[in-house]
Parts: sequence; C-alpha cells; structure tokens
Amino acid sequence: MDGTVSRKTSGARLWFVFHGWLALPIWAFLFFVCLTGSIATVSHEIMWLANPEVRANAPSSDARLLSYDEIMAAVEREEPGARVRFISRPVKSMFALNVAVTRPDGNSARLFVNPYTGAVQGEQGAFDFRRFVRALHAWLLMPFDGGFPIGWYAVSALAIPLLGSLITGIVVYKRFWRVYLRPRLRVSKGRRIFWGDLHRLAGAWSIPFIAIMAVTGGWFLIQAILGDNHISISTAGVPPVVSRSDVPAVDKGAPAPRITLEQAAEAVRHQLPDLEPSFVQFPSSAYDHISVGGRGSYPLIFESVDVNPYNGKVERTRRVSDRSALELVTGSMRPLHTGDFAGIWLKLVYLVFGLALTTLVFSGMMVWTKRTAIETVKVVRERRQARLGLEAAE
Amino acid sequence: MMGLRRGGLIIATIGAVSLFIGAAWAHPPFCICKMANATTVSCEGGFADGTGVPGVRLDVIRYDESVVLQTKFGPDSTVSFKRPDGEFYMLFDAGPGQSFDVDYKDIQ
Amino acid sequence: MTVLASPSRGASLWQRWRFHLSALVLIAPIVFGPAWFHQNAFFDGKKGLGQREIGEIAVGPWSVRLAEFKLSEPDAEGRAGHAKEFALALCPACVDQVKAAYLRVGKPRNLRTAGALFSGTPYRQTAEMRVPERTTADDELWLTLEGWDGTLHQATIPIRTASPVMAAWLEKRGRS
Repeated sequence: MDGTVSRKTSGARLWFVFHGWLALPIWAFLFFVCLTGSIATVSHEIMWLANPEVRANAPSSDARLLSYDEIMAAVEREEPGARVRFISRPVKSMFALNVAVTRPDGNSARLFVNPYTGAVQGEQGAFDFRRFVRALHAWLLMPFDGGFPIGWYAVSALAIPLLGSLITGIVVYKRFWRVYLRPRLRVSKGRRIFWGDLHRLAGAWSIPFIAIMAVTGGWFLIQAILGDNHISISTAGVPPVVSRSDVPAVDKGAPAPRITLEQAAEAVRHQLPDLEPSFVQFPSSAYDHISVGGRGSYPLIFESVDVNPYNGKVERTRRVSDRSALELVTGSMRPLHTGDFAGIWLKLVYLVFGLALTTLVFSGMMVWTKRTAIETVKVVRERRQARLGLEAAE
Repeated sequence: MMGLRRGGLIIATIGAVSLFIGAAWAHPPFCICKMANATTVSCEGGFADGTGVPGVRLDVIRYDESVVLQTKFGPDSTVSFKRPDGEFYMLFDAGPGQSFDVDYKDIQ
Repeated sequence: MTVLASPSRGASLWQRWRFHLSALVLIAPIVFGPAWFHQNAFFDGKKGLGQREIGEIAVGPWSVRLAEFKLSEPDAEGRAGHAKEFALALCPACVDQVKAAYLRVGKPRNLRTAGALFSGTPYRQTAEMRVPERTTADDELWLTLEGWDGTLHQATIPIRTASPVMAAWLEKRGRS
C-alpha cells in the first residue's frame, strides 16, 4: 500500500519537475515573445489611436465610399505620375485606405487615403509601429537573407515547450476545471501563494488559447522548414501570366490600353458574387494580371481572382473550394494565430488572453525558480533510493 | 531569395493579405534534362519553391529555329522524347518571364 | 543536500541568474534593429535603386539605369541553381514606351528565351536572373527591351562590369 502511494507521488513529482524545466530556462524569451505578440494583435488599432492620418473619417453620415476608379483618380491628382502597386481597402473599416505607390524617383510610399473623399491624409513614415512589433515578435528583426532567419526559427520553436508546458500543466493540475467554478487568488498569504494562484488561474483559463498558439506557432516552424527546403504544399500551380498574344500591339509612344479597376472588380463580382474584395494588386509587368481578393464565406482564407488587364477575362480564381484540405488547415494557421479575421472584438479577446499568457509565464517563473530546483533534487534522490532498494531486493 | 525577401516584407507590411501574396512569391523555374537511355531524353521541370509544372509547354527547337517537337510536361512534371539529331535546345515555356532553355550540350 | 549550497561567488551568481539567461536573446533585436530599419528604407527605394548602381545603359533609342539589387553573390535557389537579382529604372522619357525588360547571361535566341522578366514599376523593377552552370566571369549579360509597339532593342553588359562580386564568385566556382 505504501509502495503504490509512494510511486504515485513520485510520478506526479516527476511531471511537476518536467513542467518546471520546460519553460523555466527560456522563460524570459517566452515572456518577451508573448508580450510583443499581445501588443501585435492590436498594433494597428494603436496606430489608429496615435495617428489621425490612418483614420477613415466620413465627412457626413451619408457619405459614399469611393469606387476603385475614383480612388485611382484621386491618387493621380495628389501624386502625379506615381504608379499604384496595391490598394488595400478593408471592408467596413475604421482605417483609411492603404495605397502603395512608387514615385518617379523610384521611392515607394504607402499613402493613407480617405475612402470617402480621396484625400491623401498622410503617408507611412520610416517607423511603422505595426510592422516593427510584428517583426520584433516573430523574427527578432533579423534579416531574411537567403532564407528564414534564425530569429524566426527560435521564436516558432517556442511552440514546442509551450505545448509541453500545456500538457504537463494539465497532468500536474488535473483538477484545473475547479478554477472555472471557484476562482481563487489569495493576495494576503504571501508571495508564493499569490503567484501560485495566479499561475493556476491564468493557466486554466487560457488552456484553449495556449493550445491555439502552440499549434499555430508550430506551423510557423514547419513553414520555415518547408520554405527553406523548397518544398511546396500549395496546389496553386504554375503562376499565371498573360500570354503574349493577349497584349495588343500599339503605336509607338503609349502603353496598350488596359481595363479600369472598376471593370476588373465587376468581372470579379460576376465570377464570385459572395467575395468581398478588400484589396487590389496592380500588374507588376506587362504580362501580369490584376489581382483582386478578399474574404469569402470561410473567413480565415483569402480568395483571389486574376483578371487579364487587356481583355477583362478572369483567368484564374483561387477559392476556398480550390484548395486542398491540407491548404485549408495550414492556411488557417496564421489568422488563428493573429486573430485578425473577425473584427476588433476578437482582437481584444486575443489581447486579453495574450496578456494572460504573458502573466502565466512570469508567474511561472516566480513560483518555480526555487521550487523546480528543490523538486529536482528530491526526484533525483527518490530515484536513486528506489534504484538502491530495487538492487537490494534483487 | 527574392521570394523570401518579399515574403518577409509583405508579411510585415500588409499582414493577412500576405496569405494570398504568399502563393505568388516569385520563384525561378528550372528544367533539368538527362538521357534516359541511348535515344530518349527525359526532362524534369519545376519551380524553385517545389511547385510542379504539369501541362506546361516544352518545345524542342533546332538552332535554325525550326520546331522539332511541341510537347507538355506530364502529371509528374517530367516529359520524355526521342533525341533529335544535330544541334537543338529545349524550351520550357510557362509564359513571359517563366521560361527556361536547355542547350543540347547541357543534357546530362 | 549540499547541491543547493554554493561555496563560491561565481557559483552563487550562476544559481541566481541561470534561469534568466534566455533574456540574452534580446540582444538579437538590439543588434539587428538598425539593419532592419535600413533594409526597410532600402526596399522602399530610399537608399537608391539597388545596393550598387551599375550606371546608365543605352538600349537602342532608350536607356535604363541598372543596379545590383544586393551587393552579394548569386543566391542558391534549390534545384533551380543560382540566381542574381538586378534592379532597373527606365529613362523618364521611355516609361510609357517600354513594355518589358529582360535579362540573361549570354545572347538570347529569341524573345521567348530573353531571360528573367523585370517586375515592379517603370521607376523601379527587379528581376532574378538565372546563372547557368556554364557561366564564366568573361560572359556578358544581355538586356532586352521590348516596346509596346513590338520593337526589340538589346544591350550587353560584361559580367565584370555588372557585378564584380558575381564575377569573383564565378572565377572561384570555375577553379574548384
């Protein structure tokens, strides 16, 4: 009887020690990644608060959104000669249009354009907070020279200890569901009790969120491995190009006439009525398509349509139904990681749980720095004694 | 590595849209031709990111620009044909900017 | 029992700080931060056409500015071998006249074999040019411009002029 009890506690203690060692040596790194990741979920909204130029203020309550052609005309009026590369127009958004242009001097800029008036309200400066926080969070600002940077691998590999901590945490704290019924945070019983309660509380409440982060983060690791080894799981096939015979020959001095963006959008609406176009990409060469895309019925995946800019024919569609099951799963990973697919309410939910996870890492460190070391010594001693006992019995 | 450079840049720039652009990262094509046996040439085509090229056109053309053969890559991104006599080249052609020519001297 | 006791000062520091050492990862963004900002400015064209400008090149009635996009050896592209990226800007007078620009090593046989297609805008476009196995440092790059009216014009640039780094790389590869 004594023996079984002892084995049981010994097993539990071993899990306990595993749980401690999984995150403790890397807690500071994990803490940093969780904190920057939490900020990244709402980085765009922070920019909205900080900079009036990125807001889409309507001049009146019945103001109408400009069409793509009107946007183009407005940009040409304010930035003569600039070539538009890309227009991002989120549906029903509080954000101004993001119009990427290249100016005649070769400089690129991202303009904030009012979607109602066409006024260029400003342009993105050298410090793009959103881009910075994402790069800091996801690859520690390291350069993408010749493949995914080490920072990307280091951050995404945290998915492994995160998943391990989740599993061992549940094993150690089997009755975690009690927290849902009777949350307990003892403030006045000493620091260890406080941090311990906080750790269990934050952990139990964020189990689904941690699972999502671990799995999607793990996908980023796999994505880098696949990419660096030139392995494609895409069913997109050969990139489509406009055939030479579709480009009409014209007289010297002017490009061949192309359809307008509104005509392209009309072709897309005709082909995919349920698509809400949220961006348009301009042809990057004479043999490139106009690409229009947005979210369709399945909000996690972008659908896109390539329109021949000379004859208006839709030459390729990439819909949800065109994708393999594997692509649907892997394609859902990034939006599930960032929570940017359902509106600001989901971003705020992600922020709250992200901060809970950040707290979890910190409280874990506070609880375990001492305890893990002590428990490890105990486990080692117990094992040694057990082995000695076994040898003696033999 | 333009694809990755762009990828990183685009992920950083426009976020979720990168999912779509990701599929269109520029990756150079390739075509590798070997003698499968004494008389048959076998070519394998693809893009650097691992994308296959089933159905993509492959022309076998003499130095004088007369076309010997117009064929297509099979479902496994390979194609085989009888080696013509004389000087010729093979042209993988997936459209402007996506072509790759292999001289007969480079048949492995 | 003595495991936790620490006799020396060094051991004591280790005991105290060992679980916080992963904070050293933060050195990476501090070190790479300035380069990150520089690279973004570079991608946005604020540091010039490319990392090394080759110069103005006359191509028939037109001219272009050509640059090595990165001042580096050709990139390994898996089974596609090696590729080197160049950037190009059309002359202000010809932005509406030139339909497409292509670049390759050696003389193209026809338009279909003109090589890598530049993509971007007339003011700044890039192409990843394939570097075939048999390329030597003495070879030339052939730049083909195709007009909207269908005319073709070509220019050649010695590899040694276009990219000394690539020429040195080819010489090194040729010797081995």
